[in-house]
Parts: sequence; structure tokens; C-alpha cells
Amino acid sequence: MSRNAKLILLLLVLVGAACAAFVLLRPAGEGTVARITLDGKLVEEIDLSAVTEPYTFTVEGPGGFTNTIEVEPGRIRVREAGCPDQVCVNQGYISDGTVPIVCLPNKLVIEITGGGDSLDAATG
Amino acid sequence: MLRRCLALGAALILMAGLLTGCQAKAAESTVFAMDTVMSLTVYGGKGEEAVAEATELIYDLQNLLTATDENSPLYALNHAGGAWTTLDGDLLALLSDSQALCEKTGGALDITAYPAVQAWGFISKDYRVPGEEELTDLASRIDYAALELDLKGSRARLPEGMEVELGAVAKGYTGDRLAQLMAELGVESAIFSLGGNVQAVGSKPDGSPWRVAIQDPDGQGNLAIVEVTDKAVVTSGGYQRYFEQDGVTYWHILDPVTAAPARTGLQSVTVIGPEGLVCDGLSTALFVLGEEQGMAFWRDHPELGVELVFVREDGSVAITAGLEDSFTLGDGFTDREVQVLS
Repeated sequence: MSRNAKLILLLLVLVGAACAAFVLLRPAGEGTVARITLDGKLVEEIDLSAVTEPYTFTVEGPGGFTNTIEVEPGRIRVREAGCPDQVCVNQGYISDGTVPIVCLPNKLVIEITGGGDSLDAATG
Repeated sequence: MLRRCLALGAALILMAGLLTGCQAKAAESTVFAMDTVMSLTVYGGKGEEAVAEATELIYDLQNLLTATDENSPLYALNHAGGAWTTLDGDLLALLSDSQALCEKTGGALDITAYPAVQAWGFISKDYRVPGEEELTDLASRIDYAALELDLKGSRARLPEGMEVELGAVAKGYTGDRLAQLMAELGVESAIFSLGGNVQAVGSKPDGSPWRVAIQDPDGQGNLAIVEVTDKAVVTSGGYQRYFEQDGVTYWHILDPVTAAPARTGLQSVTVIGPEGLVCDGLSTALFVLGEEQGMAFWRDHPELGVELVFVREDGSVAITAGLEDSFTLGDGFTDREVQVLS
């Protein structure tokens, strides 16, 4: 084998190893990110692990109602809502990707991605 | 030398391609339909197109399958006063398949329980507990066999006072239609969460099975995880929709025999199988039948290819033998007792 061919082979092995290392050593979760959507459209993405001071903000959805969202370090909830059923408020805080907060009347979804076990879907 | 440099460059690009291939890009969408929220995820080059078509299909099916909308075909059938009603071929075929499933379950699933579901307030959310006399009357009006289907004449009829509703199978059927659409589009990897019904198309882009969580009925997280490829996963449980009155919990899954909530010692039943419609209908039927009769049904119907997860009232779990290799308990639930049934 010529020197160049050896060089290329060596480089390929190195690149391969780097690829493998990247895939294997990549951090499992880049923090806990809350994704807030209204009727499927992204409103805000909040890295909950980077939140230091609690704060609130209000969104108005296509249902014509408002949801006041309270953000705290590592967790998030709907504090107040103008929707009739208050399911979103009663659910309280979420801090992982198990069950998203859904306000059906206002088409609001708050889901948490990143961190924890990698699951594709949930039934129940 | 130049050629070798080019070869090296090509190899590097290939490597980079392989690397990013591990995290194939997904097209995603959230759809509000059928009184729930649905999330659609499609992998591969046709993802965006597939998600758009899937969304359109869901809205079409919503209009076709609802019984509450006064302009819907089922509303017309339910309010025809016993006269024949002309129905679309797809709907008629679904009614026929649903009726066959009702029959298979010996009536534990019954698509004519709608008047009873309404009487309990599960549609209006104006909950109430009907008295004994009323329940007897409601139960006498539940009979899937009384629905007459004329497939050649594209029409159906129901005795007056009876009503059909497809809530127990609509999302499962939607899953089947979505899977069919993906096959037509050549999509090999997609997963649909249809308000608790999961329809998995193919496997993950890397070829490994999808990991689907089964929620803890007490709301404490993911009780278990099942790994599936090309399967539907559907759960029915009393915890999903209920109300409390005088210290008693009443849930939405009614026993067609009594027109009252089915109480058989279970918190939930999960059905995993190749067809969404079957899994959806069976999850309701097996919740009504309970574990013992549910297992008898499972042994009698190997042709359905379904596997089951029962979560009992005491929190213990029972799974059918075919799940042994693909079932694991979730974090925080590893101390739960799991019994393998066959």
C-alpha cells in the first residue's frame, strides 16, 4: 500500500472513531426544555434548567381565551386560564416529558423535551 | 495526489452523512381534532408532505366520524326516527367492521351505548348518576345487532331511540388510515399519538423499535414501556374520564349490560396489535370483561395477533406471554409485580 493510501486509511479510521465518540458520548439531555405551542405553532421555547427566578407570562390562543403560564426553575404550569374547563390549571406543574399540559379549548400545548428516558410516544 | 485528496474528501462527506443520518430529521405537527390533541411525527424525505396529508385526512375523518355535529352523517342516522339513511361507503364499511368487533367481543364492546354515555353526562360534561329505572331503560336500548347495514344500498337504519357513536373505535380507525396513507406515500418510519392511541409505522429511522410508554393510571409517570414495530398501542382506563359524587368514582367506560360504569377490578387495559381499530375497540371491551374473561377472549382469538397489559386495582401488572421480551417497567415502578399470563 502506498503511503498516501495508508494516510487516507488512518484518517478514515480517525474520522470514524470521532463519529462514534460523538454519537456515544453526546450528552443524553441538553437540559429540560419546555415547548409552548398554540394550535401547533411554536410560541416559546424555555430552557427550564436555566431558569433562576420564577416569572409569568400570558398567551392568547385561537380559542379566544388566555392562559397565564408560570415558569419556575425546572418546572412549569398554567397558573390561570380563561378556558371553561380549567383542565390545564388543575393539572399543576410538569417537570418532565411524561404528560404534556394541554388546554383543548385554547389549543395550547406545553410539552417538555430533553432529559430523561428517550420515549417516542405514550398511551393512557 | 489530487485524486486521493478528492477520495478522502468524499469519504469525509460520507462519514458526515452517516453521522447525521443517526439523527434523521423528523417532520412534526400537532393537530387538535376529535376532542383531543394529536401529534404526528414522520421521518424521511417525504416527511413534510406526509404530515400535511395526514393532517388533512384527520380533519376529514373527524367530520365523517363524529356523532355530535348536527351536520354529520351519524347524527342524521341517529335522528332518522328509524328510517333508512344514506351513508358514505367508508363510514358504512367502518360501521360494519365495528359491528363485527362488537359481535366478536360478545357485546362487551357496543357502539350503540351512546344514549347511556349521554345520560351520565360524559358528552355534555354535565355529570349525573341516573337512577335504577333509567339505567334499566338505557340498557334495553343498547344493542349493536339492531343496527341494520345495507352495504349494497349504501344505507343504514336504527330503531328509534337508539344511537350509534364511534368514540370507542374512531381514533384506532384513524390510526389504521394514517398507516395506510404512509404506506401509499412510501414512508417507512412514522409515529402518531392520537390522544392516547399510538400508531407506530415501521420502526425508528435507525431500525430499532419504537419505545411507547404506558402511563400510570395514578398519574405518577410512565408505568411501563413496550417496544413495538408496525403496531398500534391503545389503553382504556377508568382514570381517563370520570367524575366523583358522594365519594364514589364513576367513569366513562360503561358495561352495555347495566349501562353503568364497568367495574371488574382493573385500572386499565392496554392492547398492542397490528390494527388500530381492533386495539381501540378491544381495549374498551376487555376493560368491561375484566382480566379473567379478557384472557379467555385472548386465548380464543389468536388470529387477532394482539398482546395485552392489565393494570389491576392493587397496582400489580399482568402481561400476555408475547410481550415478555418487549415489556419493561418504567423508572420508579420497578418494584411492581408483573405476572406473565398465557
